[in-house]
Amino acid sequence: MEIDSEKIHERKQSEYNYLDERFEIHKEMYRGQQYSQIYFARLHLMRTLLYSLAPTWKPHLPVCKVLGLEEGKDCIIVGTLFKHMKLKPCVLDEYSKERSVTPLVKPHNFMHPDDNLILEDESGRVKLGGSALSPAIYVTGVVVALHGKETSAGEFFVEDVLEAGLPPQIERPIDLQEDKYVVLLSGLCIGSKSANPLQFQLLVDHITGHLGDEEEQGLAAQIVHVVIAGNSVEFPRKLINGQNLASKDQSTLYEPIKELDIMLNQIAAGVSVDIMPGLNDPANFALPQQPLNRCLFPGSAPYNTFRSCTNPHSFDVDNIRFLGTSGQNIDDLDKYSEAESKLDFVERTLRWRHLAPTAPNTLGCYPFTDRDPFLIETCPHVYFVGNQDKYDNRLVKGSEGQLVRLICIPKFCETGIAVAVNIKNLECHTLSFSTQVRI
Amino acid sequence: MNRGGGNSRKRPPPSNTPPPVKHRATANSTPSPAIGTLEDDFMVEEDVFLDEALLYGDEDEESLILRDIEERESRSSAWARPPLSPAYLSNSQIFQQLEIDSIISESHKELLPASSGQAPIIRMFGVTKEGNSVCCFVHGFEPYFYIACPPGMGPDDISNFHQTLEGRMRESNKNAKVPKFVRRIEMVQKRSIMYYQQQKSQTFLKITVALPTMVASCRGILDRGLQIDGLGMKSFQTYESNILFVLRFMVDCDIVGGNWIEVPTGKYKKNARTLSYCQLEFHCLYSDLISHAAEGEYSKMAPFRVLSFDIECAGRKGHFPEAKHDPVIQIANLVTLQGEDHPFVRNVMTLKSCAPIVGVDVMSFETEREVLLAWRVLFLPPIVFHFYMCNTFSLSDLIRDVDPDIIIGYNICKFDLPYLIERAATLGIDEFPLLGRVKNSRVRVRDSTFSSRQQGIRESKETTIEGRFQFDLIQAIHRDHKLSSYSLNSVSAHFLSEQKEDVHHSIITDLQNGNAETRRRLAVYCLKDAYLPQRLLDKLMFIYNYVEMARVTGVPISFLLARGQSIKVLSQLLRKAKQRNMVLPNAKQSGSEQGTYEGATVLEARTGFYEKPIATLDFASLYPSIMMAYNLCYCTLVTPEDVRKLNLLPEHVTKTPSGETFVKQSLQKGILPEILEELLTARKRAKADLKEAKDPLEKAVLDGRQLALKISANSVYGFTGATIGQLPCLEISSSVTSYGREMIEQTKKLVEDKFTTLGGYEHNAEVIYGDTDSVMVQFGVPDVETAMTLGREAAEHISGTFIKPIKLEFEKVYFPYLLINKKRYAGLLWTNPQKFDKMDTKGIETVRRDNCLLVKNLVTESLNKILIDRDVPGAAEFVKKTISDLLMNRIDLSLLVITKGLTKAGDDYEVKSAHGELAERMRKRDAATAPNVGDRVPYVIIKAAKGAKAYERSEDPIYVLQNNIPIDPNYYLENQISKPLLRIFEPVLKNASKELLHGSHTRSISITTPSNSGIMKFAKKQLSCVGCKVPISNGTLCASCKGREAELYCKNVSHVADLEEVFGRLWTQCQECQGSLHQDVLCTSRDCPIFYRRMKAQKDMAVARQQLDRWSF
Repeated sequence: MEIDSEKIHERKQSEYNYLDERFEIHKEMYRGQQYSQIYFARLHLMRTLLYSLAPTWKPHLPVCKVLGLEEGKDCIIVGTLFKHMKLKPCVLDEYSKERSVTPLVKPHNFMHPDDNLILEDESGRVKLGGSALSPAIYVTGVVVALHGKETSAGEFFVEDVLEAGLPPQIERPIDLQEDKYVVLLSGLCIGSKSANPLQFQLLVDHITGHLGDEEEQGLAAQIVHVVIAGNSVEFPRKLINGQNLASKDQSTLYEPIKELDIMLNQIAAGVSVDIMPGLNDPANFALPQQPLNRCLFPGSAPYNTFRSCTNPHSFDVDNIRFLGTSGQNIDDLDKYSEAESKLDFVERTLRWRHLAPTAPNTLGCYPFTDRDPFLIETCPHVYFVGNQDKYDNRLVKGSEGQLVRLICIPKFCETGIAVAVNIKNLECHTLSFSTQVRI
Repeated sequence: MNRGGGNSRKRPPPSNTPPPVKHRATANSTPSPAIGTLEDDFMVEEDVFLDEALLYGDEDEESLILRDIEERESRSSAWARPPLSPAYLSNSQIFQQLEIDSIISESHKELLPASSGQAPIIRMFGVTKEGNSVCCFVHGFEPYFYIACPPGMGPDDISNFHQTLEGRMRESNKNAKVPKFVRRIEMVQKRSIMYYQQQKSQTFLKITVALPTMVASCRGILDRGLQIDGLGMKSFQTYESNILFVLRFMVDCDIVGGNWIEVPTGKYKKNARTLSYCQLEFHCLYSDLISHAAEGEYSKMAPFRVLSFDIECAGRKGHFPEAKHDPVIQIANLVTLQGEDHPFVRNVMTLKSCAPIVGVDVMSFETEREVLLAWRVLFLPPIVFHFYMCNTFSLSDLIRDVDPDIIIGYNICKFDLPYLIERAATLGIDEFPLLGRVKNSRVRVRDSTFSSRQQGIRESKETTIEGRFQFDLIQAIHRDHKLSSYSLNSVSAHFLSEQKEDVHHSIITDLQNGNAETRRRLAVYCLKDAYLPQRLLDKLMFIYNYVEMARVTGVPISFLLARGQSIKVLSQLLRKAKQRNMVLPNAKQSGSEQGTYEGATVLEARTGFYEKPIATLDFASLYPSIMMAYNLCYCTLVTPEDVRKLNLLPEHVTKTPSGETFVKQSLQKGILPEILEELLTARKRAKADLKEAKDPLEKAVLDGRQLALKISANSVYGFTGATIGQLPCLEISSSVTSYGREMIEQTKKLVEDKFTTLGGYEHNAEVIYGDTDSVMVQFGVPDVETAMTLGREAAEHISGTFIKPIKLEFEKVYFPYLLINKKRYAGLLWTNPQKFDKMDTKGIETVRRDNCLLVKNLVTESLNKILIDRDVPGAAEFVKKTISDLLMNRIDLSLLVITKGLTKAGDDYEVKSAHGELAERMRKRDAATAPNVGDRVPYVIIKAAKGAKAYERSEDPIYVLQNNIPIDPNYYLENQISKPLLRIFEPVLKNASKELLHGSHTRSISITTPSNSGIMKFAKKQLSCVGCKVPISNGTLCASCKGREAELYCKNVSHVADLEEVFGRLWTQCQECQGSLHQDVLCTSRDCPIFYRRMKAQKDMAVARQQLDRWSF
């Protein structure tokens, strides 16, 4: 390759801080513990928080526990919501007697007009009534404070709802002068039919500065970090059924991972890269998903710029806090609640201060015993969600001046789009790649 | 109750401290000052209240106090019944009766001034439409029966006969306190229902006796024979001498079960001294009653109060709770008004403190005695207690009496009620069994056996609570539905599609011994168990259906559960016979010697898989139609001698295929045909009304009615054939079946004659199978629509050849149809040509309870594939894969569990059984969790030494999971799967057995190594390579597997991912069932399909994670 030595772009530097400890599972084991403990931990922490907010919210009202309710008396109660859903798929359906005549169509959403909400604390539950709390918005697992009173039918008539709201944020450094970009992408799906190897190669070339004119290379030099938010390979699970694999199948299984390793190798040589596991990756299923094993990446693993991370994943770049998932939390909310856009779901999780309220109820999760790692204690500056259908972003301002950029990262294999976030001003734009292959 | 208050309830000091104010309870009665210690009070109690002689005593101090308190009781409580309207005494009394019984007492002096001494009195308990409880005493009705008047006996001989009979009665009833045993003997003109008779009537003697029990002894005397002056020794055939007194009364007064009764103004008397706790109590003469037919306004239901309850007992480890030793710790109660959706009373009584539950009144007590007494107060006003409780804890402050009309629950008759009564006896609470509506009457428990041809012999306990109707859901469901299991869990899974949380009784004691929170946990569970029966009752419309059945057949509602089918037919027969002036002979209980007769025909099945539509021609209510068409009845049957003697013209008689002779309608219309006609027209009317009806409650009543009418019509035939029944007549039943057989044969012949290529049809029709009342025809056409047209044509054509109302109907087509053998088939059922309705199977192992789930799944899935997908190779493939999974030990263990009820202790089984042996072995391991008699024992068959007997190879599934014990796939293959599968596959697949059970898929077998076997104690665990199992000293892989890391890791991690998914789904489902997110799942319901899977997921998860952790280098 000839080098035009007009100008040599130097990649910008940044300070990276890894914050995933809370999502890692080391000592914790399956010892027969159940899911009640994670709910308990969640309720305990959230209740302390909501109790501290209650006096400013409704100063005149007493705060009760579910079991302390008295009929007709206005009060505030705090508890975990449970949504009773008629259409919610149930593992027991596998055992039902009759096979329905029409084949089961899997709806993408399990909402039904009859769905209703129940509030529960460690000692009791009460059914919720009134129109202040819409069953379409809330899901099982959210902790809220409610103002209302018990009716003679034993229901709690809700007048008003208090959510925890945006958590406090670390101060954003004001002295940022330069444009620096973090590139977010997801859904490479290497090995699937829709994946186009050339497209990804173009992206890699762009990031590493092997593409385009000087201006573009200049832009590429401003990329300080790359995050791959899940579903990097399409992993033929069918092949794995407990049988020993034929050597032919061994290679089909390994091929996509090998390809990914080669590409990561190229990126890691130039810029630091984080890879998060997703639903289809060779990782465990339950959240938090643990880092993809380094043995899968013999080529890239030796680089100190390569990091295999958990999902959810949190880090600081130049003191700008990033938090994100590979998308399972939002996809699950989409199945069990309603919103106009995916960003609404993302915003809700932030206001609920919980990354994945539906875990463990409908979203697989590790049965933690003494903590709930999904609680959002500190508000991030950038909150991203991978593997969504289309790109979208929104800037959310909190009551205490918090500023958060919410981003839906589309699937790269379908859209050819990656997202670049400028950490100077939290602005973001897309990097779009398309190819036309002629045969 | 006492929501915000403390958890432990202390007795207030025995002074005049006012009771703590509880919201929702009406705190208005002041506690009387303390009298003395508990025991002293109790003695007073016993003396004052429990003397049965007081029942008819004079006004005494007690009742004055009672009245006083009664007046002070607030009626404004949400629990109490609505108050009586002030004008009630000036109106007619109208109420719906629910229970009718009879007692023996002094006759009423005002109403019956002429009589004296003991007399039977009918009591009717019911509810007015305002919801007031009613007890109506009916006087003046006397028991009687008939005998045929001996020839030569005239009116003058009667007084002589009367005296003789009276003398004999006096000898055999020495203890009775009646002035006269035989009240009257009258000569009446009646006719026997048996046999066709030309003369209109004969002389009968109507013998009226003093008390109902005397009917039987009088019958005995007359049966054995009596020396009568001038006539010599004679024995008599008695008529209608085995009719229950209450039924006799209902028949004569035209009262049917659950109908509305009116007593006009001025015709009733109210006594100053009441005998019951009902709001309205009055006396009247039986002749003044007006019985309303269930029409219009009177077809509705009064607002009955339904109490649903459940108790929990703290059993000792390893024993099923016994009332002699184990305390009752909780009782949950829900009271619902009939016709309303939600219970208006929800409470739970607990022993020791219990944390509050939202929407439920939690009442905690320090002693078991108070718990039981608190429950008793639900039934009655807390009058009797006032004395006793006032110095301990004022119960009367807490609870209002609910006074339920109907008591429901699950297995309450056999367990809960007897347990409570027996427990109270053990604790010496003498006043506890006063639960009935009649003052001072105690509830007694006695063993009863119920035998019926339909249901076999059932042992149960009978607890009579006077004036309240008990409805045990388990009995009703047992009667009306065929299920594989009748545990509350599987019943609710079946009807409500919900799994019920099940807490093992060994855990119950632990929860009780915990704190207020654990007891609350138990209380929630107990409440759920109390609520399920109510929901089942609503879902299955039992109240509507049973009241309608009682109205249609005319028996009291309580008969429907406690007695068989025949009493219902008898009641109708009596009513009809009475109209015709006929009397029923008392059948001699001749046992089974009358022999049997030929049953229904089943046409030879031409087995096979039919891929052309099969039309089904059904006879609509075949047996009732036959009886109507041929006028078959007791009173139309001609005896063989009469056939010769009477010279009946051939056009007036029918000779049935079984050789009996019956007269035709023109000479004498049969009673049975008339009953049937009425039932079937009433059903048609009910069905028509049902279509019109808009109101859901009205619809429920009508649907219940049409169902009741259908069942009743079908049971008439059975009544005539019941050899140990009330009035068997095999001539009728054998004629009915013989006609049935003839009709099936005739239909077959007509179809095969008419639908031929010679007759202008495309194909020759072929009858492939015929059952009792249906015939399956293959018309040979390939499409459903043409088959339907032909079916309709055939039905119409053939119906024309039968006497009305016998009618052949075409309803459905099977396509495709798999006919396995007699009474076993499967097919897709079509009632319209566009889309099939469902898959219909009969006699195929899909529900048998001694099969494991695997069999059921295999059979169902194979049938789905064969019939719906029309994919025989696919079905075979599926079977092969499942068998291979079984051999490779990849099957979910819960699919292999076999469950059997443990009916007696292990040693008592004569033949060793798998589950009995296992129960013994489990007892040796841990007596606390071992199954007890009455439990269902789940087990799997494990691999054992060669030659071990099947019963030695049974093992507890949990033990198997914990110790990696290998199951025996061959047992399942040979003893469970093979037969049902081959039955299905043989018609559709060549060499089915070889193909399915011995193919190449059966070659590889995998068996786990047990972790507890003897040899394993000598084994040393060593690290091995994840890839090839070669022993290694450290690391994960051996040298030769290095390089395959990625592949092996992927395998490993995807296994973990699968397990995690399953783990999450299973455990959150259990959280859902238990209805709480913040509490651990305790359920150990072995009936639940996911119980073992959940256990296994937990265990597998731990192992898999450990394995995965080896990769963390």
